Amino acid sequence: MDSGVAFKRRLYMPRTSMTTEGNRTGSWRFLRPRYEEKTSPCSAACPVGEDIPRVEMLVTQGAFKEAWETILLENPLPGVCGRVCFHPCEGKCNRKDFDTPVAIHTLERFLSDTAFRNETKPVLPRRPPTGKRVAVVGSGPAGLSAAWFLTILGYECDVLEAMEEAGGLLRWGIPEYRLPRSELQREIGRIVDEGVRIHTGERVKKERFEELRTRYDALLLGCGLWKNRPLGISGEDVPGVEDGLTFLRRVRGGERPAVGGVNAIIGGGNTAVDVARSVVRLGGEAVIVYRRRREDMPAFFEEIEGALEEGVEIKELLAPSSIAARNGGLVLTLRRMMIEGKDKDGRGRIVPAGTETLSLEVARVFVATGADTAETWHLPPAGNDKTIRLSRCLLSFEEGVPVAYVGDLAGGDLNVTAAIASGKEAVMALDSYFKGGCGTILEDLSSCRVGDGTSLSMEIYLGGARKARSRHVVTYEEINTDYFSFEPRITQPRLLPDERRLSFDEIEMKLSAGTAMREAGRCFNCGICNGCDNCWLYCPDVAVIRQRRSGERLIDYNYCKGCGLCVVECPRNAMALEEEGGS
Amino acid sequence: MEAADRELMCSGHVGCPGCGATIAMRFFLKALGEKAVMVLPACCWSVIAGPFPQSSIKIPVIHAAFETGGATATGVRAALDMRGDTETTVVTWAGDGGTFDIGFQALSGAVERNEDFIYVCYDNEAYMNTGIQRSSSTPYGAWTTTTTGSDWKKLRKKNIVEALVAHRIPYAATANIAFPEDLMRKVKKAKAVKGSRFIHVFASCPTGWRIPSEMSVKIARMAVQTNIFPLYEVEDGVRYTINYKPREYLVREYFKLQGRFRHLSDADLDAIQEMVDEDWHLLLRKAGERA
Ligand SMILES: Cc1ncc(C[n+]2csc(CCOP(=O)(O)OP(=O)(O)O)c2C)c(N)n1
Ligand code: SF4
Ligand code: SF4
Ligand SMILES: [Mg+2]
Repeated sequence: MDSGVAFKRRLYMPRTSMTTEGNRTGSWRFLRPRYEEKTSPCSAACPVGEDIPRVEMLVTQGAFKEAWETILLENPLPGVCGRVCFHPCEGKCNRKDFDTPVAIHTLERFLSDTAFRNETKPVLPRRPPTGKRVAVVGSGPAGLSAAWFLTILGYECDVLEAMEEAGGLLRWGIPEYRLPRSELQREIGRIVDEGVRIHTGERVKKERFEELRTRYDALLLGCGLWKNRPLGISGEDVPGVEDGLTFLRRVRGGERPAVGGVNAIIGGGNTAVDVARSVVRLGGEAVIVYRRRREDMPAFFEEIEGALEEGVEIKELLAPSSIAARNGGLVLTLRRMMIEGKDKDGRGRIVPAGTETLSLEVARVFVATGADTAETWHLPPAGNDKTIRLSRCLLSFEEGVPVAYVGDLAGGDLNVTAAIASGKEAVMALDSYFKGGCGTILEDLSSCRVGDGTSLSMEIYLGGARKARSRHVVTYEEINTDYFSFEPRITQPRLLPDERRLSFDEIEMKLSAGTAMREAGRCFNCGICNGCDNCWLYCPDVAVIRQRRSGERLIDYNYCKGCGLCVVECPRNAMALEEEGGS
Repeated sequence: MEAADRELMCSGHVGCPGCGATIAMRFFLKALGEKAVMVLPACCWSVIAGPFPQSSIKIPVIHAAFETGGATATGVRAALDMRGDTETTVVTWAGDGGTFDIGFQALSGAVERNEDFIYVCYDNEAYMNTGIQRSSSTPYGAWTTTTTGSDWKKLRKKNIVEALVAHRIPYAATANIAFPEDLMRKVKKAKAVKGSRFIHVFASCPTGWRIPSEMSVKIARMAVQTNIFPLYEVEDGVRYTINYKPREYLVREYFKLQGRFRHLSDADLDAIQEMVDEDWHLLLRKAGERA
């Protein structure tokens, strides 16, 4: 040897000639890990069952179009809901137990704004034409939603709208500062682009409705609640007492009614708050008078907060007992109430606190205590063997073609997202009916439930990837929080209260893409795989295989010993561990 | 190829389910690459590496006597140098028994000579391969088969990194299987340094610690989160960098998850908390940092 070291004999060096891969250590296993995507609590809480963890994952990746399309498959109005939905999703967000909920609604709106700014055209799965035609009466959130989903499922769809512009409550009942008309028009424009025909100025009376029965394969009735519910007190009809919804409609129609002086608004719902905040913007003073306590008000918390910031006064525990004209103004007599025990619905029961009354001198009174159907035939028939009541709509098969009663008419939750969910449920039910008759509806719908609630997924209905997820709703305890660090939730940029009082400009301002991506990055992506690769990384047996092409992961059971590390180290519970030989 | 994608450890090895030492090896090799020779003194890994003619790792391995990790590596390095091979990295991969105890003399000698190699001690805090006997790495409070019942170990764990730092070697660091990025970064850094390099890798042992296999990474992570096993590195024996500053976690959270500590009373845990705090503050002082 050149090195100068000489060996008498060649050293025997045993050299290995094979790997250990011949040992099938999978035979040691008594627990079997597997990939199992689950349901996030936010999606289950979302009335339309949006795939929120996936949307946030896509936003984090900058895939804004795909994220937007993911929403559109479950909800045709993300630009509306991102603004006016009271976001029950956030109330159930697992991140709230860690620091603060993900700003889901803000991101939803961001996606809509971005899509419109870039004039993005969505590409959605669509069923081939069925040859069936459906008429939808009313173009509010329920009607628009029904039209959208009918189109996706291959139905031809005509929407008949009484007013000169589509949108129903969205157009005429929600003030501009919450939902700008331009945004609504864009959303409706997209629905029309998808092939929906909207006929405005077509008021459907009873006779016309009967005629429609003969010309369509199904009808959907979603014309909302527009008739003011009377207070039932004396002086209700004196001049100066106005209906809240009518007032909102006039303002949204471009009128600027005079509201000088003090305006009393009776009621505690969103309409009452909308009226009060509109009055402030028109230069009046607004006092909300509510029978119960402030915390009992059905209006959304953020709306009440916003109203107070803008100088709206709220007087609680006061029930109106009469209204009288005096000196060119009105005197509103109020009875003091108090809480005693609980009502059936769990709210504090109110009873008069003695006989004392209080009078309030005001310029005007707006009544916003709820609304009823404009015409009695809008009401769904009483339940019988020819009707099917679902979670959010009612189907009637009484006279020939099926009629679905949707939105507020169905009598469930009265809010925009519930109405959208109602339209969606009705469409799924009708489609199921056309395919398999009445008998299949319940089963078909229950197979596309998101989690344990009433929300339904169109993606699941269409047999998409989401169908494979388990119904199990991921809890906070199931998140491996070691992989997350505290990050403050974005603060939504807003107009200052002083700026707001001056105009009907939208209060909430737009978000930058960077901010949106950072906020979406806070999402745990509960229950779904975001490709973080922890399972692959920590496997002591190199038994997790990543498919190069599909990006999918699978477990090589030849070697997996079933230690369970992948399942525990998956930050978001997208895996499960079960006994070997089990189901 | 991205370092993390490289796979130099094979399936089919006989490590226990959830073995932290195999996770440590996998990460280590990913960062090290294949241009290396590994000296493997007797330890669990001697078995996991495979019975002849099998090997579970795709770099050459020299099985060595228990106490000779430092000396064998010295010889291998010298042989490679004689052949003019300066490219190949020599690594000793030894357990805590083979490092803290029986191999300490050979290790100390090799690093005193500043031999050009990386010495990795994967620390599972006992002689696991022979049945969980205590080592000088076994922590205060632990049950082992030689510290049973009320005779649980009442001596503190030897601070091996500080012992190596005292040799003023160019690079010494701690690492943990639950912090793969940090671990792989340190391996790459060590690889680029010449002279003696020492990496102390915390590697949980489900069998010896009496923990469920699926918890082995979680528990290793908690050792860092509780300051029981801080992540830091020391260059040239003087320049300390602390890599991870945990939030306030209590050591009891770590102890209560492990069967080997089941017998400890609240008072014992309080005493341990004090020891951990003391060590942590000492480290902070060395690094010139505040709590
Ligand atoms: C001189 C000598 N004494 C005892 C042994 C038996 N032996 C083999 S491995 C081992 C324990 C090794 O412990 P450690 O270094 O901590 O590695 P672990 O097995 O825990 O991974 C012992 C005692 C031996 N091989 N040689
Ligand atoms: S963290 Fe993300 S996926 Fe989980 S509940 Fe919140 S928004 Fe939904
Ligand atoms: S660990 Fe990451 S890659 Fe693996 S299943 Fe969970 S989310 Fe997906
Ligand atoms: Mg050991």
